Amino acid sequence: MIRFENVTKVYKNGTVAVRNLSLDIQKGEFVFIVGPSGSGKTTCIRMLLREELPDRGRIWVAGREIIQLPKWRVPYLRRNVGCVFQDFRLLPNKTVFQNVAFALEVIGRPKSVVETQVPQVLELVGLAKKRDNLPGELSGGEQQRVAIARAFVNRPLILLADEPTGNLDPGTSQGIMRLLDRINRTGTTVVIATHDAALVDWMRRRVVELDQGMIVRDQARGVYGIDANTGPVPRTEVVARRSS
Amino acid sequence: MPLSADYIIRETTTNLWRNRLMTIAAVLTVAVSLALVGAALLLKQGAANAEVDWQRGIQVTVWMKPSASASEISAIRSELAQLPYVHGCTFWSQLRDYHEASKLLPPSEFSALTPSSTPSSIRCTPNQPQYATAIYDRFVHQPGVYGVGSPNSAIHAMEETITILQWVFVSVALVLLLSAGVLILNTIRMAIFARRREVSVMKLVGATNWFIRLPFMSEGLIQGLVGSAVAAAVVLGLHELLDSLANPNQPGSVLSQMRLTGWQLVGTDVVVVVIGVLIGSVGSAIAIRRFLDV
Repeated sequence: MIRFENVTKVYKNGTVAVRNLSLDIQKGEFVFIVGPSGSGKTTCIRMLLREELPDRGRIWVAGREIIQLPKWRVPYLRRNVGCVFQDFRLLPNKTVFQNVAFALEVIGRPKSVVETQVPQVLELVGLAKKRDNLPGELSGGEQQRVAIARAFVNRPLILLADEPTGNLDPGTSQGIMRLLDRINRTGTTVVIATHDAALVDWMRRRVVELDQGMIVRDQARGVYGIDANTGPVPRTEVVARRSS
Repeated sequence: MPLSADYIIRETTTNLWRNRLMTIAAVLTVAVSLALVGAALLLKQGAANAEVDWQRGIQVTVWMKPSASASEISAIRSELAQLPYVHGCTFWSQLRDYHEASKLLPPSEFSALTPSSTPSSIRCTPNQPQYATAIYDRFVHQPGVYGVGSPNSAIHAMEETITILQWVFVSVALVLLLSAGVLILNTIRMAIFARRREVSVMKLVGATNWFIRLPFMSEGLIQGLVGSAVAAAVVLGLHELLDSLANPNQPGSVLSQMRLTGWQLVGTDVVVVVIGVLIGSVGSAIAIRRFLDV
């Protein structure tokens, strides 16, 4: 579903964000990308959305090589990739319903689709009763649920989340993780960039750790830091576990 | 992708309403500048219409000296009659010219005139207005001729005044059109800035570039269109006003001679609207190119 092949990204100021990175994520996986600030997590997410282009290497998303993708095709790529951010990015003057509906309207979906899909997804994220509230009237957790609803309403193949719980308390963050897990169970591939150690440890899903733009660990059912009991799991073992 | 007309209309209306002060300024500037362009066009066409009228009735008068002998007069008359480009000539005796002078000249000047000191004249109509000069050149130095008068110079002076007026109108209009374009550009730029969050969400969820651009494009287009519609109405009003001032009992008056046909008026309004739409489109296209990062 997602494949990085020897990807290197150097910013104009000379900072190497990603260094010769290769990574495979299969359809339906739930993956945490962890690492300290500046380790290249956000750059990876931005490259998957084609907001950034790598300097070297190739990237495939949903079976399509996206580096060569002509600029006019990029919006169509993004329809297959939902994305959630730390700051929610909701439109403050639109209601919950309108915020989610907006994502369908601007890609030209007919009204009938909007009227059936939006209530369904609001039900999924547990906000059916708050459909007419403005984002300012919601808690942080609820706002992030709206953002997830907006990212998922078009049923994308992949859901990316960049520090989705960065602004939330631990209890609320767990609720968001449960929601992302539910979405993952529908078959959507979920990739989360985070440095929320407690959540990663709690979820016990695949963990890819980056440091200075390189993968230093790729572990199935991993934790945030190196697992004291098992130690780092070699990549070959990860692949073997996944295929079993 | 089917572009939802409903969405574009809604977004454009919201944008225009949010930015209403700038929108009004832009629309008014477009209207004033295009009204000037329209007025210049009316003037140009009116002058062309009047010129045809003026030149159709052009008459050349060969004034004979009061002392001119009968043989000199008849020589000039026969020479004029033989010219192929002269339509016809009438001889006005001294007495007849004296009577005409009594009507045209102020009493103080007329009192100095007697029938015997009044020149007689031969009044001719050339086939084409441009032969007036040929007649002038041929007869002005002939024996017994006092002078040759033609209204050509008066027409030229009038045409020159109208041309200068037109250029003044067009220059002022050009400056105003430029500022109208810049105002539209700035309005769109502000709209883009006001909606930057929405634009970033639209990009995120995969709206196509044209879908993002269209509401801004149509906003500029509407500003140009409304401004030019106001200008077109002003042009119509101006024409009506001048038309009502032209006295139908005096078909020879300048305003009556300048009267435009219905098609000329429609043509002027079409030009005004097309320029308005162009200004709106170009202004918003530049704003989108420079300030909308899609």
